Amino acid sequence: MTVDGRVIRLRNLEKVLYPEAHFTKGEVVAYYAKVADVMLPHLAGRPLTMHRFPDGVEAGSFFEKNIPAHAPDWIDSVRLGRTTHAVLGERAGIVWAATMAALELHVPMGTAAAPDVPTSVVFDLDPGPGVDVVGCARLALDIRALLEHVGLECWAKTSGSKGMQVYLPLNSDVTYDDTTPFAHGVAKLLEKQQPDFVTSVMARNQRHGKVFVDWSQNTTHKTTVCVYSLRPRARPTVSTPLTWEEVAAAVGAGDAERLSFEAGDVLDRVEQLGDLFGPVLTTEQALPEFGA
Amino acid sequence: MPDVDDPGPDRHAVGMPRALWNGAISFGLVNIPVKLFPAVSSKTVRFNQIDRVTGTRVRMKRVAEGDDGEREVPHTEIVKGYEVSPGSWVTIESAELEALDPKASRSVDISAFVDLDQIDPVFFANAYQVAPAPGAAKAYMLLVEAMEEANKVGIARFVMRSKQYLAAIRPKDGRLLMSTMYYADEIVEPVLPEYHELDGVEVTDKEREMAAQLIANLATDFEAEEHTDTYREKVLELIDEKAAGRTIVRADTPEETSVVDLMAALEASVAEAKAARAESRKSA
Repeated sequence: MTVDGRVIRLRNLEKVLYPEAHFTKGEVVAYYAKVADVMLPHLAGRPLTMHRFPDGVEAGSFFEKNIPAHAPDWIDSVRLGRTTHAVLGERAGIVWAATMAALELHVPMGTAAAPDVPTSVVFDLDPGPGVDVVGCARLALDIRALLEHVGLECWAKTSGSKGMQVYLPLNSDVTYDDTTPFAHGVAKLLEKQQPDFVTSVMARNQRHGKVFVDWSQNTTHKTTVCVYSLRPRARPTVSTPLTWEEVAAAVGAGDAERLSFEAGDVLDRVEQLGDLFGPVLTTEQALPEFGA
Repeated sequence: MPDVDDPGPDRHAVGMPRALWNGAISFGLVNIPVKLFPAVSSKTVRFNQIDRVTGTRVRMKRVAEGDDGEREVPHTEIVKGYEVSPGSWVTIESAELEALDPKASRSVDISAFVDLDQIDPVFFANAYQVAPAPGAAKAYMLLVEAMEEANKVGIARFVMRSKQYLAAIRPKDGRLLMSTMYYADEIVEPVLPEYHELDGVEVTDKEREMAAQLIANLATDFEAEEHTDTYREKVLELIDEKAAGRTIVRADTPEETSVVDLMAALEASVAEAKAARAESRKSA
């Protein structure tokens, strides 16, 4: 197969990667080839971590942080600490990853060029037992209201799994030293406001009936699942960008189904709505300056 | 049955009441599956606690002593502890208590039938409706009729919420009613010096006659409906008046907090996070 002049070898396209949905590797590659247009800007130039499922979602998987030795020579790389990550720069790179059954593509908030400069703050909303994605959506609205109060705009996506993520784009002169405490502070404030519903600590035993606001992904060596990435669930669900109206409507209806999108749905949405997450790459905002 | 008491706001059950206890009445060889429901519901006016300064609700938080107070202890993590010596407890799980006498926790054992007027009212605690479990209607009805015929009250023991109760079961309007009772050693008869004044008091026949007449004047049949909680009625009137006029407190929604407050709260929270980060770096 040729993508933008790059030749990519395709093998085992009929292999079923999502048995319950009978979704094959060929369909995974086709999805990524089609979504690459809108996905690329969110991945490009960032150190990539691939979560690979060579024998499908019901079999074993592994995180590949280092660029594979057999990677084509047109795939860039960046060395961070002891790891040499692949760095994608064109649509063909996404297709190449898909052919390796890298169902999930993860990237950090920083870029390969400036690893310590996060372009966004991310709040990863992870529901504990007894809470579903609607609970996360409710909290996402609270985060939006809180950030709005301090003059900041944010965007939401489903995690494609059980939770949601809220991105606060900065695209300005900050480092993780600014964003980590900010994210932690927001998480603690939410926890203080709604102690029965929010926790800012990772401990499993404190998460029943609550949403865990994972603020810790705002650091150099942590990654978050990229928007438009597939997830290894029973069906080929996708981390899907949402409008705030959709988030509010899902909370109003209490309907988790409205916050779950599969590969086909996402391609339809992209056609109709374009890249709802585009503003995350372009919106320039500064974190509030607190006293001295 | 978990022994938790959480008087949350959505505690007011809608629709069918929930059985408090499921088991069987047993005496001799007879076994009648029954469910217990509350026979009374106390109607005290319930107030929330409001902070006079912020006008928002005061929240109770279950925290462990010696903890930093940040972590709320979930109900599932709460276990009974018996203080064996100051500051030292043995913990007992509900399952351990149930295991002590599994039969007792599932049956109301009637050991005797007595006359109701032999039981002084001081012994009665809480009243429960006893309803037949599915399929037990006939046996239940038989017991009701037999007890009505004999004009007797059944004295029983049963275990509910890890406490063994003494209870009196009696027929009333074709159904069974059960009152939990205090044990004799729970009835207190303290030696009150006030009673010493009574010694040697003499009452004349004339006085006795007058008192008897006074009582006769007020003697009537007991009509429960005639007695209402006049204090509660006054409290509710006061609440209605205040609610109609001006609402003096705000709802406790976070949105109500002003922008300035929220900004300050966020600043404080971020500062706290920064301090924690600096601290962990120092120790790392």
